[in-house]
Amino acid sequence: MKTPVTPSTATRPTADGVPGPRSRPAASGPGAPGGSRPGRRISRHLPLSPWLFAAPGLLVVGAFSLYPFFSTLVNAFTDRRTLVPGTFVGLDNFQELLHDEMFWIGLRNSTLYVLGVVPALVILPLLLAMLVQRQIPGITFFRSAFYTPVVASIVVVGLIWVWMLDDRGLINSLLEAVGVGKVGFLSDQWLLLMSAMTVTVWKGLGYYMIIYLAALANVPRELHEAAAVDGAGAVRRFLTVTVPAVRSTMVLVAALASVSAFKVFSEVYLMAGPSGGPAGEDTTLVMLVQRVGTGLTGRVGYASAISVVIFVVTVGLMLLVLRADRKEDA
Amino acid sequence: MRISRRAAVAAVVLATVLPLSACGGGSGADSTDASGKVEGEITFQTWNLQANFKDYFNGVIADFEKKYPGTEVKWVDRPGEGYADKISADAAGGTLPDVVNVSPDLVAPLAEAGIALDLDKAASKYREEYLPEAWASHQVPGAEGTFAFPWYLNTGPMFYNKRLLEKAGLDPAKPPATYDEVFAAGLKLAGASGGKVAALANVPTIEDFGRYGGALMNDEGTGFAFNDAKGIELLTKYKELYDAKALDPQALTATPESSGHKFLTESVAMNPGSALDLANFKKQAPGLYKNIGITDQVSNTGKANMYVMGVMVNAQSKRKPASVAFAHYVTDATRQMEFAKQVAIFPSTAGSLDDPYFTEEDGTDETRVRVAAAKSLKTAVNYTPVLFSEQMKTELRNQIAKALQGKQSPKVALDNAVKACDRLLQQS
Repeated sequence: MKTPVTPSTATRPTADGVPGPRSRPAASGPGAPGGSRPGRRISRHLPLSPWLFAAPGLLVVGAFSLYPFFSTLVNAFTDRRTLVPGTFVGLDNFQELLHDEMFWIGLRNSTLYVLGVVPALVILPLLLAMLVQRQIPGITFFRSAFYTPVVASIVVVGLIWVWMLDDRGLINSLLEAVGVGKVGFLSDQWLLLMSAMTVTVWKGLGYYMIIYLAALANVPRELHEAAAVDGAGAVRRFLTVTVPAVRSTMVLVAALASVSAFKVFSEVYLMAGPSGGPAGEDTTLVMLVQRVGTGLTGRVGYASAISVVIFVVTVGLMLLVLRADRKEDA
Repeated sequence: MRISRRAAVAAVVLATVLPLSACGGGSGADSTDASGKVEGEITFQTWNLQANFKDYFNGVIADFEKKYPGTEVKWVDRPGEGYADKISADAAGGTLPDVVNVSPDLVAPLAEAGIALDLDKAASKYREEYLPEAWASHQVPGAEGTFAFPWYLNTGPMFYNKRLLEKAGLDPAKPPATYDEVFAAGLKLAGASGGKVAALANVPTIEDFGRYGGALMNDEGTGFAFNDAKGIELLTKYKELYDAKALDPQALTATPESSGHKFLTESVAMNPGSALDLANFKKQAPGLYKNIGITDQVSNTGKANMYVMGVMVNAQSKRKPASVAFAHYVTDATRQMEFAKQVAIFPSTAGSLDDPYFTEEDGTDETRVRVAAAKSLKTAVNYTPVLFSEQMKTELRNQIAKALQGKQSPKVALDNAVKACDRLLQQS
């Protein structure tokens, strides 16, 4: 629906499209002819009005996003501690990172997390969405059920999985019952990381399923019908009709999942403990920031340097995904 | 809409300069003079105490306000989780309450930053009221002074599962008392159960190194020394336990909560705890309760580990006389004795532990634990160095885990841990 335009503020184009005389700012000042007319007054205040409307939002963004961001950027070049004001140390923090074993462990684990979680979160929710898209009795229940983990608290979810994967938990009891024996899901560094990835995927399925459902609703049914008439089977139709139709959504999901996977904290923290698994081998970069930068003796400067690296990698991941999408388009 | 170049430049300059302003300044130590009239409004912060002791603290505050007309105490309580982070945020932001419940490791960085009031100067007249060891527990190597009133003390017995010990051919009436006895018992427990029952659920902590008889820091308090021969010996023994499954396989990632759970589910036979745990066992595992034995903390030095709580006065408080008076009031002998009757804690005031409440048993488990703990507290030592931060604990724990996994020898692990902790100490 078009918004009605009042004559007093409208820009009336001339025949060649150039704004006409009424679009010019009204003369201001007490002596200006017609300066007291209401229409002119509104016109005089127009340049500030958008800023006033945007001010609350800008203030919030400035205080809670921009300021912390620039603050982190500046702190990364200082030796600031929680209770000790910092001094400028140049690139010292970044040089220290290169020799910090724990930083490389964190980078390795965060990267592995992206590689393990993103493909699963791009493909599985799509399959799930196709499954629950069908209009069959009781499907609403399943849609809600698949979405439930998304709204569940990550702490509760983490604890439930810890209980299930414990040495004497449900899964190990079942494995013992069938003769496989105990598996150290929570004591082996790799199994622990994979267990945490499983929780991330399980919890994220519903969220991305909803995004795919919206995308699938826009895929014309005629395309599927035409492909079926041409003899394409279910797999062929999926690859040649569904996937191309939702490709831009898949890119979006890949970008969102990559960023959140690289910044993973809660799942690993809850399952591997505050020390980051056996010998800290499951520590992720965000866990390292928390460990190094918080508390009364926190090294804010060094933690900020790690945060800057996380930011750069995250932006790099986004650009990589978008570039891949653009290449496909070309 | 176009943004003028001047506005854009101003925004960039502000965004760059504003964070820099946070790097400047610093609190600096204020005056330690706390003389003057006790009056005004102060804020008192406790550590996870409101849920269970609301009436007690409201009573203490009301009595104080009655004793000192013109004073008003606002009580705030913070949850246990993230307490250090809350204090650090308040301290960095200049919003730390006037009187704060702290532990020695929390008070050390606050003292170094000049935020904790030196009580040797501001409240030395109260010094004699407390046990000398308790008063000294809030002194920080490298900083002159005492930075918190000692509050309640605690020490924990060792709980053990009599049924599991008996099943492994051990005498439940003679539980292990030294580390060597624990190691021997652990190997028996694991052997008899085919590796299903471990002796312990936790890797050794800095307190274990202390109770094993090793040095923790050098005499000057300028560096750590737990990589001595005793320390290496202790870790080597733990490695033997781990290999024999006498140390729980999940010990490398255990938390106090998870090891308590292991004890309740009878996966481990021994678990250090506190007098508070007894009530939990009764409530959560009544079936197990009758099998629980209680003995002294394992120690090769004959001394138990002691945990100390303190009450610190903010050096930047605008109401120092009232803050010091209240911090003393909460921690004086009368108030500590009253608090000890509310919950299983022990007063740090001189002579309080000689009260019949701490020396006479009435045949119940509760009084038995209380009397034993009070007795051990008379010789107990706070084995946790005040400079040992959370990050240092993580470094030690990770290096120990590597040794237990066989990725490096106990000596290399402890050398690395000492090196990392010394580096963190120098950076603080």
